Amino acid sequence: MIKEIREENVEDSYDVVVIGAGNGGLIAAAQLVIEGVKVALCEQHNLPGGFATSFVRGRFEFEGALHELCDYGSSSNKGAIRKLFEEDMGLNVDFIEIPEAFRLIINNPNEKLDVIVPFGREEFIDMMEREVPGSKDPIRNYIRLGEEITEAIAYITESEGNPDKEVLIGNYKNFLKTAPYTLDQVNNALKIPKRAQDILNAYWCYIGIPTSRINFTFYAAMHYYFLIRKAYIPKYRSHGYTAALESLIREKGGIVLYNTKVNKINVENGEIIGVETTKGDKIKTNHVISNASPTLVYNNLMFPKKEVPPQALKTMNARRHAISCFVVYLGLNKSAEELGINNYSYHIYDTTNTEEIYESFKTLNPPKAQATICLNNVLPECSPPGTCILSITAFFLPEAWEDVNPEDYFNLKYKIARHLINTFEFATKTSIRDYIEEIEIATPQTLARYTGTFGGSAYGYETDPWDSFMPRLMEMENEKYIKGLQFCGGFSANCQSYTNALLSGQVAAFLTIQDLKKKGDSE
Amino acid sequence: MKEQKEKDLKISVKGNIRDLLAFKNLTSQRRKNIETASEEFKKSDSVNELAQSLHPAIQNLMISEIKEETKSAKTFKLIPDPDSDTEKLAYFRAGQFLSLKVNVGDVPITRPYSISSSPSDALRGFYEITIRKEDHGFLTEYIWNNWVIGTKIKTSGPNGYFYYDPIRDSKEIVGIAGGSGITPFKSMMKEIMEGRLSISLTLLYGSSEENDILFYEEFKEYESRHPEKIKLIHVLSCEEVSLEGCEQGFITADIIEKYCDFTNSSIFICGPQVMYDFIDKELSKFNLQPNRIRKEVYGELKDVVSLANYPKKMAEKSFKIKVKIGNLTKEIPAIAHESVLVAMERAKLAPPSICRSGQCGFCRSKLISGEIFVNPKNDGRRAADKHLNYFHPCSSYPLSNLEIEVPRS
Repeated sequence: MIKEIREENVEDSYDVVVIGAGNGGLIAAAQLVIEGVKVALCEQHNLPGGFATSFVRGRFEFEGALHELCDYGSSSNKGAIRKLFEEDMGLNVDFIEIPEAFRLIINNPNEKLDVIVPFGREEFIDMMEREVPGSKDPIRNYIRLGEEITEAIAYITESEGNPDKEVLIGNYKNFLKTAPYTLDQVNNALKIPKRAQDILNAYWCYIGIPTSRINFTFYAAMHYYFLIRKAYIPKYRSHGYTAALESLIREKGGIVLYNTKVNKINVENGEIIGVETTKGDKIKTNHVISNASPTLVYNNLMFPKKEVPPQALKTMNARRHAISCFVVYLGLNKSAEELGINNYSYHIYDTTNTEEIYESFKTLNPPKAQATICLNNVLPECSPPGTCILSITAFFLPEAWEDVNPEDYFNLKYKIARHLINTFEFATKTSIRDYIEEIEIATPQTLARYTGTFGGSAYGYETDPWDSFMPRLMEMENEKYIKGLQFCGGFSANCQSYTNALLSGQVAAFLTIQDLKKKGDSE
Repeated sequence: MKEQKEKDLKISVKGNIRDLLAFKNLTSQRRKNIETASEEFKKSDSVNELAQSLHPAIQNLMISEIKEETKSAKTFKLIPDPDSDTEKLAYFRAGQFLSLKVNVGDVPITRPYSISSSPSDALRGFYEITIRKEDHGFLTEYIWNNWVIGTKIKTSGPNGYFYYDPIRDSKEIVGIAGGSGITPFKSMMKEIMEGRLSISLTLLYGSSEENDILFYEEFKEYESRHPEKIKLIHVLSCEEVSLEGCEQGFITADIIEKYCDFTNSSIFICGPQVMYDFIDKELSKFNLQPNRIRKEVYGELKDVVSLANYPKKMAEKSFKIKVKIGNLTKEIPAIAHESVLVAMERAKLAPPSICRSGQCGFCRSKLISGEIFVNPKNDGRRAADKHLNYFHPCSSYPLSNLEIEVPRS
């Protein structure tokens, strides 16, 4: 038996080892096998997807993480992700359009708000004008600016990260001039009334830092894609497309190793020479694409320690790990209609003060924000007739959960979950608690368990202006500390979100292919 | 369109020049932040540490005590193996199970066993599992012949969803247990006794005869100490019943109605496969909402051939399965009425498995070619996996030669 277990080990050499089968790692591996590169994809869990997964309890299959996929687009006006899936990957997966952006509810009696935020430029402007008379023109400018920013980003992406300065200054001046600033700073410069900003900013919890710190470029780009290209979710949950990507990688000759955690990235003279895994694999390679964060790579994986560049540790320490999630998944034995849950997505906040809410992420006090989705309002057949699926997401910084003991952990989960359910019922005037057939609660520990992400962080590094998309991109070459190493996923230069993580995988694959070609030329 | 935009939209945040300078300064600001940061490695990550301690992949344990419960049942007390890196036992929820990983000779197999001790006991450093010896049971015969005090055992972390959930469940629990299905309820009762589980439990416990009742004395004591929280009714299926205050026969709707306020309760059921079929029929008379009934999974099907839609003429057919596991490809024999998981274990491969009931998905594998029968009651596959030919070997049976790719455990 010992002999056979050894035979299971992988000791050959691979052109590229991809660490982690999250959104970024899957796309990276898929792009590489499509280009005929010999790839081993190592994943510590037994499933593809990382956060992009699903799980079954009783009669229900729950979506693990996705609320909406931005920049997917319709079949006639394809967004970047639809192009990536359909054209570049040849993937055949069904995505369904979401009816409206979300319903925004502010509970604070002094700021009371309950509004449905629609998709579409004109629809959005009309809604804003209705809610905040006089906001029409600045909002129109905000959207135009978002448009310019997304065009600028598309141009920069096409230029493979080397944009022509003249073109940027000529065509995308507003983009350049707003990129150094925060969401609040630019919104004020646009003279958007405060009340209108509150509605405009409601998407902030998906970035996870207060609007006084979120980089405008990052927010406006995501918001623009969201409003104009609308949003989509996969018919068979995130697992639908991540399992399809896994299949594609296998079919094209890639090897996918589950339950296989890379525990060493061997480096010699600043260059990758191989990886080792908890299963005893010793894979020779000069190229690693890591879906695991720079924090995990430099702090835990790189071997020997003396090869870890001090500058890499400084970069790691300068950045802050973003929020983690707390999710209450509910399988209810009444339909959404019967329960009066009429919307797909709800953003429910105690207050519009994003700094106050962000501060609350640092403690285990009752959450002041939740983003809740009812899957059945987009996918009526996602659960049996007469039932529905509701998932309530709240947010915490890793530090809030640092001192929790095992014996208190479960009760703490229930306490927070109860509060979130009560808040949802109060805000939406529904009653759900008597209809819970299945319940599962995910914490930062759950996220850490399944993905190994440092501190349970779900949103990569925080995207203050100095650590947002543009400076990350502009410094990418300077911050390439190890030869043969590329990053993808939410901690990479693309910043976090499903969309960015997916796209980052392709970028990392292309950069690695360039390196492989260079090496081929020089040999 | 672009020209119009240039004309219309001229943003200035702090002034034209200053904005462009600020853009230029983004990189120098970034470099400054990096330059002034520490070059130390990060200290521990307590979120990942707690995740690991709650959900270890492997626990290295050692038998510290063995107690004969009945002629055919023993309780094994398990503590961390002092020679291993397992220092603490994973905390759990009363009702969860451990998957034992045992090499029977050179055949590596797994079996789920409910933890019968309480979560508080885990904090004190031990688990207990109670195992009933099965006639010709491949694993239990091995255990009876080999397990002694000091024997080292590997298990998974705690698993399973058969536990009281204070948000979902009523505080009034009706427990229905058959045979060794009593073990998770023992854990719950002990946790009630510890004051750490605030439910009241009315337990209908079916045994075939008096001598087969597990934990009789302990339960008597629990009941007498907390009569308001714990009530136990023994139901014996043998012809002659001499035990005082017990019911004779099976756990029927009449018996449930006689002892329990089922309308305001959550009903938890754990027992052998045949009991579920019987109880399902009895409970259907009450017309309960599905969120009022919780069932523990019962492990591998004893008799797949008896399922209504199983193609019976296939039952005795033999097949070959080409298994790719890691870098190894091996052709192994299989028989139609045994699961693909068992075929792999017989062939001395060590595939991953935990629940053996189709539920947890830990054995999820790719079906490259061939046909399988999946027990519809134990089909815990994700929707996309059904379309993309992924399957759970523990609840799947070969109907042809197969080619599969299995992850290493």
